[in-house]
Amino acid sequence: MRAICWHGARDVRVESVPEPKILNARDAIVRVTASAICGSDLHLYGGFVPGMMKGDILGHEFMGEVVEVGPAVKTLARGDRVVVPFPIACGNCFFCRREMFSLCENSNPNAWMAEKLWGYSPCGIYGYSHLLGGYAGGQAEYVRVPFADVGPIKVPEALRDDQVLFLSDILPTGYMAAENCAIEPGDTIAVWGCGPVGLLAIACAQLLGAARVIAIDRFPERLRLAALKLGAETIDYTEANVLEALKDLTGGRGPDACIDAVGMEAHAYHSVAYAYDRVKQAMMFESDRPVALREAIMACRSGGTVSVAGVYGGLIDKFPAGALMNRSLTIRTGQTHVQRYLRPLLARIENREIDPSFIITHRLQLEQAPSAYRMFRDKQDECIKVVLTP
Amino acid sequence: MPQKLNLTRADRIGYVAGGIALIAWALRRPNVRTALAAGVGGWLLYQAYTGSNPMLRSLGIHVNREPAQPEIAETMVVEDAITISRPRAEVYAFFAQPQHLPGLADAELDITRSAPDEELAWRGMRDDRLLHFGSLSFRDAPGARGTIVAAHLEYAPSGGSLGVALARVMGRSPQRLVADSLRRARALLEAGEVPTTNGQATGRR
Repeated sequence: MRAICWHGARDVRVESVPEPKILNARDAIVRVTASAICGSDLHLYGGFVPGMMKGDILGHEFMGEVVEVGPAVKTLARGDRVVVPFPIACGNCFFCRREMFSLCENSNPNAWMAEKLWGYSPCGIYGYSHLLGGYAGGQAEYVRVPFADVGPIKVPEALRDDQVLFLSDILPTGYMAAENCAIEPGDTIAVWGCGPVGLLAIACAQLLGAARVIAIDRFPERLRLAALKLGAETIDYTEANVLEALKDLTGGRGPDACIDAVGMEAHAYHSVAYAYDRVKQAMMFESDRPVALREAIMACRSGGTVSVAGVYGGLIDKFPAGALMNRSLTIRTGQTHVQRYLRPLLARIENREIDPSFIITHRLQLEQAPSAYRMFRDKQDECIKVVLTP
Repeated sequence: MPQKLNLTRADRIGYVAGGIALIAWALRRPNVRTALAAGVGGWLLYQAYTGSNPMLRSLGIHVNREPAQPEIAETMVVEDAITISRPRAEVYAFFAQPQHLPGLADAELDITRSAPDEELAWRGMRDDRLLHFGSLSFRDAPGARGTIVAAHLEYAPSGGSLGVALARVMGRSPQRLVADSLRRARALLEAGEVPTTNGQATGRR
């Protein structure tokens, strides 16, 4: 089969590889009908995530048709059309029983690696480094899905792939980012980053009752989508001082909650701190550049919540602990517990409360993935979200 | 708190030899550089005396000079624990099968003591030589959260504390072996299978 393989920083290739097989009784094999490139795939593409090996198959946002099931899978059958959540979760452990699926204790065969870096291991994730299991991803024609009796959700034929594909990651991720804000009537939510997760976080914050949403980015097409499609107020950080602008927009108090939908490769404009992080990251003294996170903490109103959806991998510098402590801020974060949100969000899609397909800018063939990665990373051609079909 | 020993006898002999060599070198040509070397030599001698190298402390290395099984003169001690969301009797029954106990490569395991639902002890032999011995204790996790399994394993060190430290950094050590056995048990008991990627599709050649 054809699959997108990682070969190093800024080097992904479409290659012919063996087809996946059932390895465990709870596995299924899915023929992928659509996959997407995630903003977090760009961290892999850029070489910022440790534990990648040449030849790893990428992709954790995918859906398709079940073509084979292991003997222990009773909930799926050949021919079922399913969306697969990116966290691999057993459904039986301490965390799965508490619906914290991305913390599953039984799905990462390389848990010891993650423990060295993070203390304890989260769940395994498709195509997201050997730290998180080294599972082959779904940017391929076929994919092996472990614990297939817990993760995949069957989707009705009436909905197009476009409408349900993002249940695999970014719609629940945007939703959890908004849910973590514990939104109350009258709340103003500020969102750093208007990529796919940021845009869906804006839409979900509105679904959950935010009175106002303020979106922060630098790409005109993204700010335009946030403003025109979603009705958010916008700040272009290349033109305004974000902290001052937010203070002005919120009557001097700050947003009630701030969402970091950027993560470890944040950019800033004409900022000494940004240059500092860039240099430290390049010299490997610091693994992540936390410009958006610092700003979100500084901007948040006292007693408010900073919700972190952007991915971080390691260590950061100059963390504003004083602001966090003295102003009673709460940080809420985590890899998304996708399985928890599948049913309610599918219902919202069916009820036409949300249609996440509005973020798609490019529909390409799997064979075009190498150029698609480059285009997405460099934000060429106003690229926001790429969907790949085999 | 008394400091745990983390140097083996062989380590300490090496530290004494190294320390004396450095000091002797410093005495033969005294200058600023050799004075520093003498300082390091003195520090090595001190560590040989205390049996403990503070720089190895973060690796959690622990040497037992008076092991319960006198066949091994001194042992490296491994301790670990895991919580498994299953009833104590079921967890105990699983580990009571010797193939599920942590054992070093090529060792033949036999259970030496068993107190149902409480404790299991075993040893690993190769050609009539004792390689390691260990025990598992079982207790209920608070709040009906299943069973806590605490593991204790002691083995004859090869390569001294430096070898142990190296093995730990490389991720191939009895410490890993114990952790892997406990994880494997939890996966089998809770999820019914052990997560794996062996045999999956890959672009590696």
